[in-house]
Amino acid sequence: MIVLALVAGLGVLATLTALVPRAVRVKLVAGLLGLVEIVGGATAIRVLATNHAIVGHTSSLVPFTGVRIDLTPLGALFTLTTAVVAIAATIHWVGYRRHAMSSVSLSSAFALFVTSLLLVPAAGDIVTFLVLWEVMALSSLVLVAHDHAKRDETRQAAWWYGAMTQGGAALITLGLVVLGGHAANPSFSAIAASASHLPAATRGAVFLVLLVGFGSKAGLVPAHVWLPRAHAEAPAPASALLSGAMVNLGIYGIVLARTLLGVGATWWWLVAGFFGVISALYGSLYAATSTDLKRLLAYSTSDNMGLVVIGLSASGLFAAHNAAASSLALIATLVLVTAHALYKSTLFLGAGSVQYATDERDLDRLGGLARTMPVTTAVIVVGALAVAALPPLNGFGAEWLVVQSLVHGLSGADPVTTVATAVFVAALALTGGLTIVAFVKAVGVGFLGRARSESAEHAREVPVSMRIAPAITAAACVALGVAPGLAITAISRASDAVAPNRSGLTATLSGFHLQALRSAVDPLALALGAVAAALVVAGLRRAGGPRTGAKLRVFEPWGSGRAVTSARMQYTATSFAEPLQRVFDDVLAPQHDLDVSHVLESRYYVERVAYASANDDIVERRLYRPVLALAAVLGVRARGLANGSVHRYLAYGFVVLVIALVVVS
Amino acid sequence: MNLRHSLQLRHVDAGSCNGCEIEIGSVFGPVYDAERIGARLVASPRHADALLVTGPVTHNMASPLERTYLAMPEPRLVIALGDCARDCGVFSGGYAVAGAVADVVPVDLEIPGCPPHPDEIVSALRRFTNR
Ligand code: SF4
Repeated sequence: MIVLALVAGLGVLATLTALVPRAVRVKLVAGLLGLVEIVGGATAIRVLATNHAIVGHTSSLVPFTGVRIDLTPLGALFTLTTAVVAIAATIHWVGYRRHAMSSVSLSSAFALFVTSLLLVPAAGDIVTFLVLWEVMALSSLVLVAHDHAKRDETRQAAWWYGAMTQGGAALITLGLVVLGGHAANPSFSAIAASASHLPAATRGAVFLVLLVGFGSKAGLVPAHVWLPRAHAEAPAPASALLSGAMVNLGIYGIVLARTLLGVGATWWWLVAGFFGVISALYGSLYAATSTDLKRLLAYSTSDNMGLVVIGLSASGLFAAHNAAASSLALIATLVLVTAHALYKSTLFLGAGSVQYATDERDLDRLGGLARTMPVTTAVIVVGALAVAALPPLNGFGAEWLVVQSLVHGLSGADPVTTVATAVFVAALALTGGLTIVAFVKAVGVGFLGRARSESAEHAREVPVSMRIAPAITAAACVALGVAPGLAITAISRASDAVAPNRSGLTATLSGFHLQALRSAVDPLALALGAVAAALVVAGLRRAGGPRTGAKLRVFEPWGSGRAVTSARMQYTATSFAEPLQRVFDDVLAPQHDLDVSHVLESRYYVERVAYASANDDIVERRLYRPVLALAAVLGVRARGLANGSVHRYLAYGFVVLVIALVVVS
Repeated sequence: MNLRHSLQLRHVDAGSCNGCEIEIGSVFGPVYDAERIGARLVASPRHADALLVTGPVTHNMASPLERTYLAMPEPRLVIALGDCARDCGVFSGGYAVAGAVADVVPVDLEIPGCPPHPDEIVSALRRFTNR
């Protein structure tokens, strides 16, 4: 309790420190914030190590209910993940400050955002939770809107994000208030105790409301539309926190809903699984076809959260008939959440460094950064390998566990669950392939080859702090990949709080073992095997290649005899994704615009050809735009209601009062 | 040079009147079908054993011809096909002409004629393919 108060106090202090003069502002705030993160992380580690929740209650600070703290191992896992991501983001921020990130408002918003992210999982009752949740949402909104004065895209992103996050918060509030109304007090433990007495229909409705509310925070399709905008427009340290820490809390919320409401009916998890599958496929498809590096990463976040929700749904579906697979799915989900936080923050920080050095996010205008920015390229490659789930990185172990739980969950399942599980596995497989396409494109086009623009050509490696920050999270990806045993005890303690571990999952320093399911994997051995195989192939090639003494001649790439081989002859991100876009033409419905203008004298001679293709979000275009257009029309119509007559306004008030009284009575 | 019955050719038109191209077309057509004797036209100098050059080398084509030659793997051959390729033929002295093929890249074999008869082209190619 005292340590958490310390975290909150230091966080507020860091927020206020933003008022000091500019020269020392970022360093001071970052220093204090580092302290906040270390204390928060250490507290979380203590909770996970001792397996004892930190519980406390004070009746001060918030009227009527006070503040209730309940940092369970589950919450501690999320706090710890956030702390690691936030440490990297803060270090990155110190270098990034040139980019207008050092103003009073942004520095304080950053401090407040980090503090609230660390504390949300520690909330022990509805009011504390919602207050912290709102602080988190509003401070991140300030960060997203950082460049609002200059860029229209930023303003748009801020509007979308603000509207979506407040809509989500309204649903969450509704769901929690309904539950709280039936409990002895608003604490989560009291709610969990009383929720089982509620009628099944109410519990189902509350679950749906919470699923949509928290799902919008986690970036589940179709509530994902804010994600590609906000993540792309926010400054890099903030995008890393949005994607590496904040979306996790959406998942935390769904797990929280399960702890409050119990496992519930099968249909709950079929609905959740449906959104998971849609998000995974939709996110990975758009990631594979996006050409904006940060948009690509944002869609990939949507995709990963989809996979996480698939895992959660599997856990819920299997709970009735296969406790081992159910608990394994939950652990796998949490492993995936932490893995995602680490690799996605690596990628976002790396992408931020690229943007800092080149002022570009468009892959088609990058290229050749491997030579000019070797450290940044290296961390991006590690992140890309991890997100593509290749051993020995942490993404591999996470997805292996999810697949294991799905496959083993089939035994004893009823037909509906069996079909759902088959769909989950298929979605996982397709997503895996599309993710690899997306990241081969990102690394191949963005970092290899030759520079495609002036700014990429003259890119210089970023300041030290911005190189160190993503290297920290990248190192964590490697460490948890080769030695999953480091985290698996903590993660299974976190999941024990929700469903006891029956899978017999243990992890040695180098691999996973599933006693109950007789299955094991050793990512390190797999990776070493792959390296050994590569060496053998290289050796064989050398032995069978040109005789020793053959002379090696280096000549420019073949450009059909042309004297200039320009960087524009290279494969672009757009052309790389084109075949895929063609295959999924009906789903993506990209918009092409070809405009040919002819010479006045003859239609046989073309004067100018203009071609534009846009691959904007189809959910936004087909679902949100019409609704927004309708709202705009209604808004204009409604102006007629307000004609300036005070008598009329008084009449409105009276009518509304009468209606309210009739409804209430 | 032992090509073991297989000759991969990259054709470059360095400025020909296209008469020679018509004969090359018929060499690889159904009547003469040079693929029977192991010769084949390929789409990139990277895949070629020999460069088949027609026409006088114009100023504009001198550099592409040289680049094509340099882009080929070694060992490599150059065949100058037609009188123009050998000594600029009827175009000799033209304002656009830079010189004969041998002035730009080293030539290994010349096939005379304006244009050479397909028979002659095939028999010239057979000297390399040994079939
Ligand atoms: S040799 Fe004769 S046919 Fe061949 S390009 Fe010259 S002019 Fe034309």
